[in-house]
Amino acid sequence: MAAAAAAGSGTPREEEGPSGETAAPQPQAPTSAPGARLSRLPLARVKALVKADPDVTLAGQEAIFILARAAELFVETIAKDAYCCAQQGKRKTLQRRDLDNAIEAVDEFAFLEGTLD
Amino acid sequence: MAERPEDLNLPNAVITRIIKEALPDGVNISKEARSAISRAASVFVLYATSCANNFAMKGKRKTLNASDVLSAMEEMEFQRFVTPLKEALEAYRREQKGKKEASEQKKKDKDKKTDAEEQDKSRDEDNDEDEERLEEEEQNEEEEVDN
Repeated sequence: MAAAAAAGSGTPREEEGPSGETAAPQPQAPTSAPGARLSRLPLARVKALVKADPDVTLAGQEAIFILARAAELFVETIAKDAYCCAQQGKRKTLQRRDLDNAIEAVDEFAFLEGTLD
Repeated sequence: MAERPEDLNLPNAVITRIIKEALPDGVNISKEARSAISRAASVFVLYATSCANNFAMKGKRKTLNASDVLSAMEEMEFQRFVTPLKEALEAYRREQKGKKEASEQKKKDKDKKTDAEEQDKSRDEDNDEDEERLEEEEQNEEEEVDN
């Protein structure tokens, strides 16, 4: 769970200073504006999934990153599609059956059929 | 602990946050639905990996790269992801480049500091010549820190 917090946040800390001792090296120096995280999902977990495939030999860092980002987009997409079903039922809580309906209704989600049980 | 690929779930907290931000305020999600979406995301990654691997093998490469994944998205009929993914990739490359340059600079500074420390240890044993040289280096260090 701690990995999620390490995805960069807060104000950048600067190393320079008048003090005599050199500052300890920062574990991660955020370079972009605060809040502009590139991906929220921990790359290590995504990498573990990728390595689970016996046919995969190696995966580059960029590939892992894009997969993480794609997974986020996928979560957003499926959540929104499922919500449309809930809305029709005039409910404000997304239920499992809304998800099942979305999977059946949307062609792109066909690969999920039978995998969530 | 037997690990099937589908059991490699992504962190619940992150999944929940992504879902909540995608939906309007006030909308909730049941635990079962959230857990199912998390599972679906894992399956998505596995499926995408498999598709991407096919493209890599076609290109006779053993390493999956970014374009393999983008091709996989199109193959899976998620073309709408391609543009935002390309933008994210650009930003990621810029960030990696910045990090690399920063760490190279840190390494140079660290190497210099390590040299000075090693000489500190042997200072007691050395003669005056070395002490003079060391003083010069110490002065240099102070100059840098003042910046």
